Amino acid sequence: MEFKFTEENLTRIEQEVKKYPERKPAVMAALYLAQEQNGYISNEVIKEVADVLGITAEDVLGVVTFYTMYHQKPMGKFHLQVCTNVSCMLRGGYEIWDQVKDKFGIENLGITEDQNFSLEEVECMGSCGTAPMIAVNEDYYENLTNEKVEEILESLKSTN
Amino acid sequence: MEKILLPDIENLHLIDVYISNGGYEAAKKAFTQTSDDIIDQVKKSGLRGRGGAAFSAGLKWSFMPKTTDKPKYLCVNGDESEPGSFKDRQIFEINPHQMIEGTIITCYAIGAKTAYVYIRGEYHKWIRLLQKAIDDAYEKGFIGKKMKETFNTDFQCDIYIHKGAGAYICGEESSLMNSLEGKRGYPRVKPPFPAQNGLWGCPTTINNVETIANVPKIIEKGWEWFSKIGHPKHPGTLLFGVSGHVNKPGVYELPTGTLLTDIIYKYAGGVPNDKKILCVIPGGTSMPPLRGDKLEGVKMDAESLKEAESAIGTGGVIVMDEDTDLVKVLARIAHFYHHESCGQCTPCREGTGWLEKILKRILAGNGSTSDLELLITVANQIEGNTICALGEAAAWPVKYMVERFRYYFEARVNDEVSLPIANKVHSMRETSYPLADVKK
Amino acid sequence: MPNIIIDAKTLEFKKGQTIIEAAQDNGIEIPHFCWHPKLSVSGNCRICLVEVEQMPKLVIACSTIASEGMVVHTKSEKVIAAQNAVMEFLLINHPLDCPICDEAGECKLQDYAYKYSLGESRFVEEKVQKDKRIKLGPNVMFDGERCISCSRCIRFCDEIAKDPELTFVQRGDHVTIRTYPGQEMDNPYSMNTIDICPVGALTSTDFRFKARVWDMSSNKSVCVGCSRGCNTDIWVRNNEILRQTTRYNEKVNSFWMCDHGRLETFKHVNAESRVHYPQIRKDGELVEVGWDEAFSEAVSHLKTFPKDQIAVVGSPFATCEDNFITAKFAKSVLSTGNLDFIRHTNPEFADDILRNEDVTPNTKGAVLSGLVPSQAGLDINGIIKAIKDQKIKALYLIEDDLVQCFPELESSIAKLELLIVHTSNYNSSTNYADIVFPASTYAEKHGTFLNGFGVLQRIRPAVATAELDRALDGMNMSRLDKFGTKFDSWAAGKKNEARPTWKILVSISKALGYKMKYNMAEEVFSDMASSIIELKGIDYDEISESGVQLKVEDNKTVNAG
Repeated sequence: MEFKFTEENLTRIEQEVKKYPERKPAVMAALYLAQEQNGYISNEVIKEVADVLGITAEDVLGVVTFYTMYHQKPMGKFHLQVCTNVSCMLRGGYEIWDQVKDKFGIENLGITEDQNFSLEEVECMGSCGTAPMIAVNEDYYENLTNEKVEEILESLKSTN
Repeated sequence: MEKILLPDIENLHLIDVYISNGGYEAAKKAFTQTSDDIIDQVKKSGLRGRGGAAFSAGLKWSFMPKTTDKPKYLCVNGDESEPGSFKDRQIFEINPHQMIEGTIITCYAIGAKTAYVYIRGEYHKWIRLLQKAIDDAYEKGFIGKKMKETFNTDFQCDIYIHKGAGAYICGEESSLMNSLEGKRGYPRVKPPFPAQNGLWGCPTTINNVETIANVPKIIEKGWEWFSKIGHPKHPGTLLFGVSGHVNKPGVYELPTGTLLTDIIYKYAGGVPNDKKILCVIPGGTSMPPLRGDKLEGVKMDAESLKEAESAIGTGGVIVMDEDTDLVKVLARIAHFYHHESCGQCTPCREGTGWLEKILKRILAGNGSTSDLELLITVANQIEGNTICALGEAAAWPVKYMVERFRYYFEARVNDEVSLPIANKVHSMRETSYPLADVKK
Repeated sequence: MPNIIIDAKTLEFKKGQTIIEAAQDNGIEIPHFCWHPKLSVSGNCRICLVEVEQMPKLVIACSTIASEGMVVHTKSEKVIAAQNAVMEFLLINHPLDCPICDEAGECKLQDYAYKYSLGESRFVEEKVQKDKRIKLGPNVMFDGERCISCSRCIRFCDEIAKDPELTFVQRGDHVTIRTYPGQEMDNPYSMNTIDICPVGALTSTDFRFKARVWDMSSNKSVCVGCSRGCNTDIWVRNNEILRQTTRYNEKVNSFWMCDHGRLETFKHVNAESRVHYPQIRKDGELVEVGWDEAFSEAVSHLKTFPKDQIAVVGSPFATCEDNFITAKFAKSVLSTGNLDFIRHTNPEFADDILRNEDVTPNTKGAVLSGLVPSQAGLDINGIIKAIKDQKIKALYLIEDDLVQCFPELESSIAKLELLIVHTSNYNSSTNYADIVFPASTYAEKHGTFLNGFGVLQRIRPAVATAELDRALDGMNMSRLDKFGTKFDSWAAGKKNEARPTWKILVSISKALGYKMKYNMAEEVFSDMASSIIELKGIDYDEISESGVQLKVEDNKTVNAG
């Protein structure tokens, strides 16, 4: 599928570029914008980012596959990220992980059929003091219990 | 006890509140002195890096070349990805301007005209908060072109945020620089060190967010004041992040040298249901864990923890009670370092996965006592042989956990399990390629 | 010069060198996978860890700068433990499929497994599985499981081929190598990655599964694809060339050569179109005859033409020795000054890495050997015109295809009264030839080429012909050849009747009553060295393996690296 940045995003990329002495470092920001616009990082996105920044598609591909926050396939409208690292684990991280898995019947990096929810087991998110946690897209939900998780997921479902 | 980094002032994150509490005065004071004076004061204050290595901040600054044709850079490390570590986000949220002011002073001291604050991508919220604070500081003329009037100086600097995208390794300073340059976050071979050859080959200093946030107070109140707080060889306060099995997990700003038991029982409210402590990791998961029966008298500073055969790391204290499944904890830690190994150098790329696989096997009940030796051997084969410190970070928890909790691990593997294959020399390959595929 | 102490030996080094370079210059090998002298240092494989006194940890020899008085241990207990560790790590996820791997026998991983590892693994887990049989480009196949992520291929494309086509993807033990989807690694130098790949991760699509390396013999030669003259090894089994690889020569091609040179310059040696025996045209058809019959046929015809009706066209594909004798044959035996050769240039072939516009190996050498018209004689344009005007009635054409080069000349060539051709393969010109002599290819003879930058280089026979003596001609053996019996592969495979051009001409000259006393290419060269000023004082043996830089016109010193 063809991908071209919107004018607005092109402007935002140029603003990012200004922060650095060369264009390449803006690749990470450009990929975020592309993911926002396209939903995920397709091969066409990679090419467009490379062209816009004047770098090679291989360079962009290398970056995309290095960082876990860029997705090379579509994720749900609500991307649920459950931390199971030690501090969360000690306070019930895996119980929440299992709860979310069971609720939607999906595995790690899976997506529900209606494309609304996707799930990812993530590494430490810096919520150790407020564990356990779930991040929904960009927002953290912390100090969770199974009840609270149920409440959050239900409210997300109803906002659909 | 006075708090240096997270004082109890309401709405301190707002620039006006920060200014009315004496904010940006330290920067004004700094600009009346020479950059060498600033470095000298920070050196004398004894401020040590808060990112894990506890290296003298002033000494690090002094490595920056005085005369160079190249631009110089400051990177403020807010990647904060060490499991058990969650302090920098408090600074971004509660006291961002002190970090910004520290960045301005540090730029002046080392002669950097550009500073990048590298923040992990997951911290969307804190990136927005810090960006707002930076925008406000620009508007008030503390950063950028208006500095000339504000501070009556010829010096000018800019501060930008660079957002990471999910890679623990980018907290390693050379990897952070590669990531900032828009590359895969591979650590660089050292030497050359960043002060000679950093961002885009230019002299660069990388300091942790918490380190930088200390700087304005050192300039404001003097190095002697700072050097007298806490342990003399590692002075100041630390943001101790306490997590795991405690009643009041959270971040506590306390002087260095505070007793670990005080942190757990006095500040973090003790262990739920008064259970005994089995294990404590004192400085984030990569640091050697301490046994619950060896916590008495352990003080939380770089020197004391070295004596206790661990390390201060990022001050992330993870408490595990007597019911904790240590094998599961260690397997989870091993999974983390396997997942986060960048894959560049051999021992870490291959060894971290191996460690995880052995531990997962033990966890599944298929371990033997010889696997415990093997874990230590593999850890030793990684340690010291890698490009960056992730090697040690992956090796230490395994090696020291197995060594210090030997009885525990032995009990778990006590039922000697025979391995599913006879010949250990050859590998196990459960799924082989179908013949049709091979013929192609 | 400063001194470094490596394993208790005090050695000199050049300021700025790394430990591994200082060691190498002094003949001490420190094991290495990722380090390559012509690529940037990446320091990722860790097999070159050494102990340096006063340093707390082991350091990698490839990135640590040597300093005065530095004391290095490369065989201490700590170093050996680190080497064992790295080897064990590299092999845990490696498929250990040496029996079906092309690299086996010339594999660094395999060699080091003997030299630097315990030879035993404690790994009992399931291996990481990665993509296999990925065609990275037209000439290169990738096996992700064999790859040790040393990044040599990536750095080669970035730094030498100047065409960054490869990247690492994923991380940790899932790291593998990729091109951008839909794009190929198709730079003209892509196959160098196969050479520098220390394992069998990158293999040649052309050579895959053709032979075990130890079953082939290899002989040192020079690529004939252009006037760079990249140094090569020619690999032969059962008297058939299976591959051609690059050979290091800093003066000429460093460690590299182009894919065209590797793949397209030797196939004619094995081709169906080879001329196997001398041929004479009888009743309109070329028929095989013995050498003596062919010689007397040539002699009887040549005698009948006045010298101004004869022209001789030599070849930039032939050796200096061939062309020297050709010139002598034209001027002294046939007494004609109508002597020249065809220039072959292709501006599109040239680049600023190795490839030259002149797509022959010996243009400069042909001129130096005297392949030039006499004052009154015709040059190549004159010869062509005279053929058209039917003023030239007899043409002696050596190792080139006049008809293919000048298709418009075809009808005039057909009208020639005599066309004698030396060639290795049938071509457009042999269609009109009255006599055809089978000429040895560059892979079947001794001789010299003078490259475009004035470097005189030797070629050596790699494929046996009937006239060659494998032992006397110094041909290398393969493992299969070592017994020297009829069961050797020396005895297997087809042997061609071809002879080098100079040898054929010596025989004809003799039959024409002009004595030339040459039995070996070396003797021709000695004669050249005594009569050609630029070659004065050069001994054939002295040219050796890396060539001799001559002081000739347009002499540029080149750095291919």
